[in-house]
Amino acid sequence: MNRRWNDLPLRYKLTLLYVGLLAVLLCVLGVALYLDTAHFLVHTTAVRLRAQAKPVIEHWLPGWAAGEEGPSPPVPGPTPPAGAPGPPGPPVPAPPGDKAAIASSLDGIAAQLSRALTSRDTTALVLDADGKLLASGRQLPEEPLPAPPDSTYVSRALAGENEVTYTTNVDGVRSLVLLIPLRHAPGEGEVVGVVELTTPLALIDAVLWRQRLLIGLGIVLTLVLGTLGGLWITRSALTPLQRMISTCRRIAAGDLSQRVNLPARRDEVGQLASAFDNMVAQIERTFAAQKRFVAAAAHELRTPLTALRGSLEVLLRGAQDDPSAAARLVQGMYREVTRLVRLAEQLLDITRLDSPVIIHRQPVDVARFFTGFLDQARRLAGERTVTLTPGGDVTVSADPDALKQVLFNLVDNAVKHTSPDDRIEIGWEVGEDEVAIWVADDGAGIAPDDLPHVFEPFYRGDRSRSRRQGGAGLGLSLARAVVEAHGGTIEVESGLNVGTRVTLRLPRSS
Amino acid sequence: MNQRANGRRGRVHVLVVEDEQTIVELLRIGLTYEGYHVAVARDGRTGLELADKGDFDLLILDLMLPDLDGLKVCRRLRMRGNDIPIIMLTARKEIADRVAGLDMGADDYITKPFSFEELVARVRAVLRRRGNTGEPTVLRAAGLILDLETHEVRRGDEPIDLTPTEFALLELFMRHPRRVYTRDTLLNRVWGLDYEGDANVVDVHVSNLRRKIGDRERRLIRTVYGLGYSFRPEGEEKGGDEQTVE
Repeated sequence: MNRRWNDLPLRYKLTLLYVGLLAVLLCVLGVALYLDTAHFLVHTTAVRLRAQAKPVIEHWLPGWAAGEEGPSPPVPGPTPPAGAPGPPGPPVPAPPGDKAAIASSLDGIAAQLSRALTSRDTTALVLDADGKLLASGRQLPEEPLPAPPDSTYVSRALAGENEVTYTTNVDGVRSLVLLIPLRHAPGEGEVVGVVELTTPLALIDAVLWRQRLLIGLGIVLTLVLGTLGGLWITRSALTPLQRMISTCRRIAAGDLSQRVNLPARRDEVGQLASAFDNMVAQIERTFAAQKRFVAAAAHELRTPLTALRGSLEVLLRGAQDDPSAAARLVQGMYREVTRLVRLAEQLLDITRLDSPVIIHRQPVDVARFFTGFLDQARRLAGERTVTLTPGGDVTVSADPDALKQVLFNLVDNAVKHTSPDDRIEIGWEVGEDEVAIWVADDGAGIAPDDLPHVFEPFYRGDRSRSRRQGGAGLGLSLARAVVEAHGGTIEVESGLNVGTRVTLRLPRSS
Repeated sequence: MNQRANGRRGRVHVLVVEDEQTIVELLRIGLTYEGYHVAVARDGRTGLELADKGDFDLLILDLMLPDLDGLKVCRRLRMRGNDIPIIMLTARKEIADRVAGLDMGADDYITKPFSFEELVARVRAVLRRRGNTGEPTVLRAAGLILDLETHEVRRGDEPIDLTPTEFALLELFMRHPRRVYTRDTLLNRVWGLDYEGDANVVDVHVSNLRRKIGDRERRLIRTVYGLGYSFRPEGEEKGGDEQTVE
């Protein structure tokens, strides 16, 4: 059961949940409304009958009064009026002569009284102090049948209870029965008789039946409309989710270019969809970069592998018997293996690009750093002139080894792209909150088309030239990773046949 | 068609257009060893010039070249009416590139990293397909006739029944008469580079081959002591690497 509930689509689940809640609330409301109406109708009928009966009783029993005229306020419930003895039992002592007189006078008027109280919707019975029927007011067939006196209620009324009201079934018709105690005088506790008024509730029951029908139908209609409306609302609210699901499926099938592309909306679903789209876009970019990277790496491997395989084959197929040919082939193979080793090292470096570069910062005196670096750079540059343009005294917080590695890379690049009579210039300049370090050359430069791509792993401009110089196109990618780990930036300016200038900007130590 | 060169020189002239030094070297040495005459161009423009004016029977053309890529070289040659057979070397596996190469008029392509043995097989196939007489279909020497297409061997009119290994050995010997093959080289070329067995198997097969071609009295396949075997047809003692052309 629980499983089936969990498997239900969200839109049905939501609709069922709140339609269920709505049903419970509507039923409670309907029942309360119905009960209140029913009670109100019966109660007003009772009040009306008592009000109508009062003057009649007063008229026929001058000097007497109906129980309501008692000195105590008409408290509903079994509370007896003040002065009246609570439990039924021996009536309040009255002059025995009086009592007999009263009883006989009640006997005398009972017929008239009951007749006067009887109408087309009410029948009156008069009972004496012992609960014995004295007279019935019903004479015409259209007058309702009186309820047979119920001794339980009658004894309560005889005990002085003013508001005895109950409903009972009279000949198949639900009827309201009122008991009015009769007293020998207003305020007197002693009850000498009881008038029983019976009125059928057919009209009220008809009204109540209609009421029940209306409430029931209303609830059913509301629930049906609520279900349909709810389904429509949840469905339209969840449609974007449906779209995301199918987009997810297509993406999972391998198409990373898929997007949910909801029309702009600021609600949660809209935010989710746009966050999702952004995520997929990011994944697609990363994935494309990795694919490029792997393709480039595979391509870089292909040439040395072709050379190695072919050379080995040629050797084994007989060229090994010719010492000079064998020597040349073996030399070429050594060259290619060196290239593979370098490539493998660079691949290891490039995988480090993905993980954060770990640097060990320490204060580096830039002037001293460059004094040491210049000698090594000159050795690397061979015949090329290397000049140093020093800036002011400054200290940066940096990893000197990593920094040296980066600058070596840059000088190495400069060497590769210059001829022996070109110049390479290195230097630094102290800015307000950063130190700019540059390596510049007046060599071949980088074509404008290539310039935006120089930081991409494995990107090489003029393919033939750089390939002969043996770079795999990773130097600048690594340089950027290191510089960015220092919180700095790196930029390249270049013009064809003008030269190239790479500038690193590192934050100054505070 | 391409008989222009062979008629004069007897050897097939191959132009290799490739910029990777090691690959150039191995192609030069390997193809020379296989009996071809090899010239090299290191970029597309030079390749185009040489192919246009030189007498070459085959062009081995790298697709990726520094200045003018292989596809362009191929197209320009064909546009000028040069129908020299071309084999493309391509680093790419994509079918589109292969189709483009063939559309440009290349005869065949081979994907890097390629096996040299396969390259040689394709060179031979292309040359044969183009009717190049430098690439024989029948080898003749010392009365032996070896048909490469039907795999039949005859001595005069008398057919000789050889196993595939013996056939391959004889083909190798007859392709390069007088060349001395070590046991290892024979093993590598006939049994393949993957063969892991004793070199003595060569002696057994050579001895069988000698018996079948009636070598006892003629000594066509000689044992070069300390080195290996060599095929020396009578009357061609000074002949060098000449092949008999059908």
